[in-house]
Amino acid sequence: MKLTRREFSAGLAAGLAAPALVRSAWAQGATIKIGMCVPVTGPAAEQGLWAQNGAKLALAAVNKAGGVLGKQVELVIEDDQTTNPGIVLAFSKLAAQSDIVAFLGSIRSTQVQAMAPDVIKVGKPVMIGGTNPDLTHSGNPWLFRFRPNDNYSGRVIADFGVNTLGKKKWAIVHSTDAFGTAGGKALTEALTKLGAPPVLDQGYANQSQDFTPVVLAVKQSGADVLGTYFTFENDLGIFARQLRQLGVNIPWVGSPSVVAVSSTKLAGPALFGTYGVADFAEDSSDAAKAFGKAYRDAYKTAPDNQSAWPYDAITILSAAINKAGSTDPNKIRDAILATQKFAGAEGEYNFDKNGDGLHGYNVVKNDKGKIVYDKHIDFND
Amino acid sequence: MDLVLQLLFTGIGIGAVYALVALGFVLIFRATNVVNFAQGEFSMVAAYLMVVCVELGLPYWLSFVIALAGMALLGVIFNLGVYYPLRHRTYLPVIIATIGASILLSNSVLAIYGPQPQVLQGWFDTPGIQLGPVYLDSQYLLIIGVTIFLVLFNFWFFEKTLLGKKLQATSQDKEMASLLGISVSTMIMITFIYSAVLGGLAGILVAPVLFVSIQMGSTIALKAFAATIIGGFGDVAGAIVGGLALGVIETFGAAYISVPYKDGFAFLVLIAFLVFRPQGIFGERVAEKA
Repeated sequence: MKLTRREFSAGLAAGLAAPALVRSAWAQGATIKIGMCVPVTGPAAEQGLWAQNGAKLALAAVNKAGGVLGKQVELVIEDDQTTNPGIVLAFSKLAAQSDIVAFLGSIRSTQVQAMAPDVIKVGKPVMIGGTNPDLTHSGNPWLFRFRPNDNYSGRVIADFGVNTLGKKKWAIVHSTDAFGTAGGKALTEALTKLGAPPVLDQGYANQSQDFTPVVLAVKQSGADVLGTYFTFENDLGIFARQLRQLGVNIPWVGSPSVVAVSSTKLAGPALFGTYGVADFAEDSSDAAKAFGKAYRDAYKTAPDNQSAWPYDAITILSAAINKAGSTDPNKIRDAILATQKFAGAEGEYNFDKNGDGLHGYNVVKNDKGKIVYDKHIDFND
Repeated sequence: MDLVLQLLFTGIGIGAVYALVALGFVLIFRATNVVNFAQGEFSMVAAYLMVVCVELGLPYWLSFVIALAGMALLGVIFNLGVYYPLRHRTYLPVIIATIGASILLSNSVLAIYGPQPQVLQGWFDTPGIQLGPVYLDSQYLLIIGVTIFLVLFNFWFFEKTLLGKKLQATSQDKEMASLLGISVSTMIMITFIYSAVLGGLAGILVAPVLFVSIQMGSTIALKAFAATIIGGFGDVAGAIVGGLALGVIETFGAAYISVPYKDGFAFLVLIAFLVFRPQGIFGERVAEKA
């Protein structure tokens, strides 16, 4: 047999490439990959760590129970740097790996908004925790929300403050990012519907070092109850302390950050007696209690919503892929939307056509540093 | 009126923080003609050192001394590692090196200590005093006190002591200073140690108010940098006045015009200075310096 030089080269190339090709084909077949954009660096790196903890806990349970479609599930983590450009970059890196079947996006609405156009282009399901209502209401079929959106948090804050606490003169303080603006708007609308339009609507920019002007505005407004949407816990801590220092002690019902673990630690006594809506409250259901126990056993700290939603997202996504019987994005989408009456750590999931899984909130109270469950308020629409 | 007094106090308090960090900027700029973009990270590192010492159960004052000693050491390492190898190059590589050092410092702390923001107790047990209608935060009172002390100390040190005069001579003309027998590299070393300690002092003082986090340094440093330009780059009094002015302007701007645009006021003032008086309040004219 006579070998030409070209044939020899082609053969050599094929011979060299073969093991790699075989390995990559094997790797593609061996696991089901889920991509996760999460802050590893930047202001929310702390919360990012908890999100990874929650996701990994669910992943371990899924894999222990036999995995998905008979294969083990693997999480591919990419740092979103807690910035909008960061998450766009992280998502494009993950999206370039064609064997990733679905993704976990951010808990921050502004970041989800930044990545949303690319999500449509990629056309695969993305689980999110951002609570800006618009995210699932702007015709993007690939976003699925594992926390109740701010329409509900606004309505629950308003309902609790007006009907339970009996307060009608509201001051609203909110961040001027996508999350805070949408939250402030939702709260204003809910209060107006209840016949108690706010007397003050005060925005602030994230990472402010001083909140004296905001506190004085609240004080001068004569409000008898405070509603807040804070994005970052250290901002909240500074605000809470200055609020008490300047003698404002009116009841305070806030978005989930008010009752988050790190705010409770940073602000200390300044947050005693405050109410917060919490998508996650450990005592709210059996599923939440079970998640809380598993999380404490694994990580020796208390869980909060930062770890609960990725936990539910991985659990429900895995179940949906199993139910779909395929990794086809459209079939996964249908299976997620068909998920009803699923008891998750965050509450009972009943997905609607927009991709919203939850439709209500828990109200919890900071009782001398301990977060205690108060009541659950759910809406049907 | 009550409102004005309260805002004035907070404005001066936060301005004093900017001033302390700005002072570090100015000292290094005078000695080396470069802007040290890791100045904010000095504050952050010192605050973390303090947290570590306090958590180890050391008394507050001892933790303070150890943290500042650690900063002095960091100043030495920073000089030898970042400035010294590049001292004969133009200012640009040095500035880039300080940016690199700042990224290294913040990510090192992140890797060692993790991303969780920490709480550092204040110097005093009393959180503050109510003086008529105005609430005076004890930590801000301390910051203002330390700033006043440092203004006087710097004046005495640079104008009345031989070492201070040597440092001044070095910053004005390195060649002339070395002809007169002043060891320029020692003077620059002392400058780096002094600014690292100053930056660290600012970090430790502000930590009980703003919490200890990885990004605490960079947010303050940005404002401090603006303060230095407003005050006149290279002028010690300018850094203090610039910092205080910035703190007061942004606090009043936020209270009376718009809270969300608070940071905007600081930078609006900066732009106005760059356009109409680039040498700052106290800065010498560029022509005179040449």
